[in-house]
Amino acid sequence: MSCGTPHDGCAKVIEAVYLYLDGEMDDADCAEVRSHLEDCVPCLREYGLEEDFKRLVARKCGCDPAPEELRSRVLTRLREVRVELATVEFRTD
Amino acid sequence: MSRVEETLEQRSDRFERTALPFLDQLYSAALRLTRNPADAEDLVQETFVKAFAAFHQFEEGTNLKAWLYRILTNTYINIYRKKQREPQQHGVDEIEDWSLARAAEHTAAGLPSAETQALDHLPDSDVKDALAALPDDFRMAVYYADIEGFSYKEIAEIMGTPIGTVMSRLHRGRKSLQKALYAYALDRGVIRPPTQAEGAQA
Repeated sequence: MSCGTPHDGCAKVIEAVYLYLDGEMDDADCAEVRSHLEDCVPCLREYGLEEDFKRLVARKCGCDPAPEELRSRVLTRLREVRVELATVEFRTD
Repeated sequence: MSRVEETLEQRSDRFERTALPFLDQLYSAALRLTRNPADAEDLVQETFVKAFAAFHQFEEGTNLKAWLYRILTNTYINIYRKKQREPQQHGVDEIEDWSLARAAEHTAAGLPSAETQALDHLPDSDVKDALAALPDDFRMAVYYADIEGFSYKEIAEIMGTPIGTVMSRLHRGRKSLQKALYAYALDRGVIRPPTQAEGAQA
């Protein structure tokens, strides 16, 4: 079955596009999808678009390093909490 | 092994060694959640305080990162979501329409493959703005899956929802985001609107 137009099985394959791209599909189902994509240009195109899109979001939204002073601010606060906890644990003893 | 013998100081060291390295990642997530740097910093700090207070209950060997994200998400819901003006929950119908439109386009002719590549030319801020405009639940599902690479099971645990809900949020969130980005791209002239002929084909 080799074609450039949609056919039986396309709906099922398209429905599963996120399961496939998100790595949520078992090996047997992955193999079935790959075998379909080898023969189906429209589905392959759709999978490519969704994959590109997923990568685009990851690339554009992923890198906001925390401000330098946040780490020390958090550490300071954690040490305060530790003192508070130590007091509480001392009292319960 | 029980951690009864662990002193507060040892627990504190262990926390700083294992949990604190997630600070940058948590800040990034907090920024996506709160949509402003000051609230994001407060949220990260509060998350670490809560995580440290509960750290003796954390079972070593289980997923520390997901555990921290769950605390981050719950803290956000409890503190910040209430005080922030929610974006209008419009879009759900639009999203459905968009999904249907995409499905129809696929069965007809598929989408021009150049379009997603063209979206690469959009400035990062457009993509971040489009993500920020999604309703919380959709935004975070997309963020956790696509940026953090969490599995559906982990996202379900982090967001406290069934896996089916995660999948539906991801689907709707992605479709809505795609729609928004195509609109940005059209506005900026990064892609051109479909011609009459292409419309007739579909």
